Amino acid sequence: MLDTGIRQFRMAMGIVWGRRLDPANIERLVGDALATLAEFGAPGADVGMLVDGPLTDPAARRQSATSNLRRTARRLSVVSPFYARRFAAAGVDVGRLDPDRLAAVPVTGKRDLVEHAGDFRATDVAAHLATRTTGTTGRPAEIWMSRYETRLWPAIGALAAVLRDDLRPEDLLQVNVSSRATAAVILDVATCALIGAGCRLLGVIPPDQALDSLGEGRVTLLTATPSYLGELVTAARRRGLGPADFRLRRIDVGGECLSPSLAAAARATFGAEVDDHFGMTEILPVTGRSCEQGHLHHDINTGHVEYLDPDTGAPAAAGALATVVVTPYFPYRECTPVFRYDTRDLVRRLPEEPLTCTVSGLPATSKVLGKADQALRSGTRVITPRELVEAVEALPTCPWPARFRAVIDDGRPRLTLPAAAVDGFGIAATVEHLADRGLDVDLDVVADDQAPQLRPLRCDLRETTFAARPAPTGV
Amino acid sequence: MYSSAAHLAVLSLIVGAGSALLVCLLGLSYLRRVRMERPAIGTFNGRDVVTVFVLLSTIPLFYLSLPRWLLTSFLVLTFASALSFGLRPLLPPLALWSVVGGLLGLNLWLGTNALGTVAGWQVFWAENDVIVLLAAVFVANLYVQGGMRLKHVAWFALALAAYDVVFTSVAPVTDALVEAFLGFPLDPSIGMRFGFDNAAIGIGDLLVYGLFVLAAAKGYGRRAGRVAVAVVVFFGAVVPAGVPLLIDYVNARTDTLVPAQFWFGPAAFGTWLWLRHRYGRERTMREFLAGEDVGGRSSAAPRPPAVGSSAAGSGGHPDRAAAGSGPNVSGGGGAR
Repeated sequence: MLDTGIRQFRMAMGIVWGRRLDPANIERLVGDALATLAEFGAPGADVGMLVDGPLTDPAARRQSATSNLRRTARRLSVVSPFYARRFAAAGVDVGRLDPDRLAAVPVTGKRDLVEHAGDFRATDVAAHLATRTTGTTGRPAEIWMSRYETRLWPAIGALAAVLRDDLRPEDLLQVNVSSRATAAVILDVATCALIGAGCRLLGVIPPDQALDSLGEGRVTLLTATPSYLGELVTAARRRGLGPADFRLRRIDVGGECLSPSLAAAARATFGAEVDDHFGMTEILPVTGRSCEQGHLHHDINTGHVEYLDPDTGAPAAAGALATVVVTPYFPYRECTPVFRYDTRDLVRRLPEEPLTCTVSGLPATSKVLGKADQALRSGTRVITPRELVEAVEALPTCPWPARFRAVIDDGRPRLTLPAAAVDGFGIAATVEHLADRGLDVDLDVVADDQAPQLRPLRCDLRETTFAARPAPTGV
Repeated sequence: MYSSAAHLAVLSLIVGAGSALLVCLLGLSYLRRVRMERPAIGTFNGRDVVTVFVLLSTIPLFYLSLPRWLLTSFLVLTFASALSFGLRPLLPPLALWSVVGGLLGLNLWLGTNALGTVAGWQVFWAENDVIVLLAAVFVANLYVQGGMRLKHVAWFALALAAYDVVFTSVAPVTDALVEAFLGFPLDPSIGMRFGFDNAAIGIGDLLVYGLFVLAAAKGYGRRAGRVAVAVVVFFGAVVPAGVPLLIDYVNARTDTLVPAQFWFGPAAFGTWLWLRHRYGRERTMREFLAGEDVGGRSSAAPRPPAVGSSAAGSGGHPDRAAAGSGPNVSGGGGAR
């Protein structure tokens, strides 16, 4: 217990002074947390402070953000060729940066990251492992991680997972995200290793094979994208499987919009909670998680999060749409650091009212509404991808995952659906269903074999196996 | 004035057995009814046993090097910490600090002004005993509710057995401590004066007894707790009180200093081995709380102790059951 206190003190001092944290120290804290749970069944007092950070007070939050931003910017002005140029061009005094003066630094976009990849890499650390975005929104961006980061991120994640009871030593985690999502995959593997949980990496394999694995009865946690979850739910219902066929206790999804209809269907089919998370390779280790009231809470302990008007770049007003702009802090991010990275993920700011949810210590927005560049503008009306996903997936035909194409045609939104989405329900009823959800659209229907071309989904990053291949004959 | 060895043995038995029983029973009652807050992460482990042993072994040496005013300051700090930890789940802050301040303030006054008569000594001892008793009960609970197991206590007691022999019989640290504490405020012992004689038992001994009984009850249930109480009373009080009749423990200052842990440590270790053989692994705190041994209310403190800290040092010394014959008025060395 005394050594645990010393470890926590060391970690706290590292955070306060902004020095590199010792991953081994945090890894040992994971062991301490496991021992604590084994002895007491639950963490002790003030675990929320340890997990969510001490930044519930706005003044403390601002002070912390200012010192973290200055430290991060000071380092980038020296070790990042891209940001050294950018700060100089903007005439920014990095030693005087604070949240109010951040606007002087232009946001960084994915195009910057793709076109100047080498200039983002810090010159004072050795690059160890490259992870690429999956490229569903265009060209993939490449993020290099240092060895320090590959140990630090899982250690921090594992500590939080143990203290929140998200992952237990007796768990078996099945991972059904793309095997090329290197960061996500190694985080899952390393986190499970630290906690002593099992980890089954399957990738985006045919849903029936993933279901077979889930049905073996040992898998307790599942990680997937919402679109792949949609395929799993559809396949499970087709096979007549229900909660009694699985031992799942939680399904974690992220990377796409999860609709309430699909979440409810997954809960009913698998008998497990469905948690919607926010994570993005470019801004790791800053993540976000949903609360019971449907808010998205970003982790402001590891990074600065801004909500900016997607058109003007000014801070978005309460209730308005905003794009999420994130600056991961040093020492949490060191090898390919980004500063004011514009995720182009749309959220809606909440009204200026005190939060009453269980994560009220962290700032919150609506859930991610989709990519800003995929939102449709019909006059003054902005139709977000989430609205479309939720409306389509709520159709009685259960068309999971939602396949559609939406465009503005002659000033009106035009929606294209595969035939299976309206079969048995009717086009008129579908139009009415959409109108009931505020979507006054013109509707087109195409053959089902054209569905994959309508809109790329992460479940399309299919990884083939030999399982479904006929047994070979001959040599 | 004259006090026989038999007379002293009886007094030692009364003080030793009475205080050991009180620590054990009050400690058990507290364990069953009151939940002390604990840090977010941390449970007592083998390294903590080593740490506590080293601290308890070295703190007395540190104390002996301090001037009186500084020693008293440390004792105030130590007892204030121990009392506040234990009272926090029971009292609101104002009442808590009033009680702690009242107890310690009165002790400082009595220890400075009341030791001129036998009655004064008795009043001082009675008040001092309350403080030391509560401190031992609270610190024992802090450790056991923090995850200390009977295995830890058994090894701890065994190590103290060796320590006690060395620092009582070979290097007279214990003798020096008795001399430093007796007759001054916040004596870390439970004692009483009977005419010419003082009989006392150190807080370190009481802490080990409390730990042993609480850990046994937590780990193996009520029956094991009763066995542990019997071991404590016999090997921690009866044997140390009676053994001076057979072995000469009188030192140069004519104090009789018995290394109680020498007798208790092996017995505690053996008891743990027997319980482990008979019942298997110890229950965790979670299993204890889920069992039928827990009754009454569970209290939660408004503020937890510092994250990761195991406890404030008891300030005591696992030294001895000391039966000292003091002087008429001022304490310290005595002559028969």
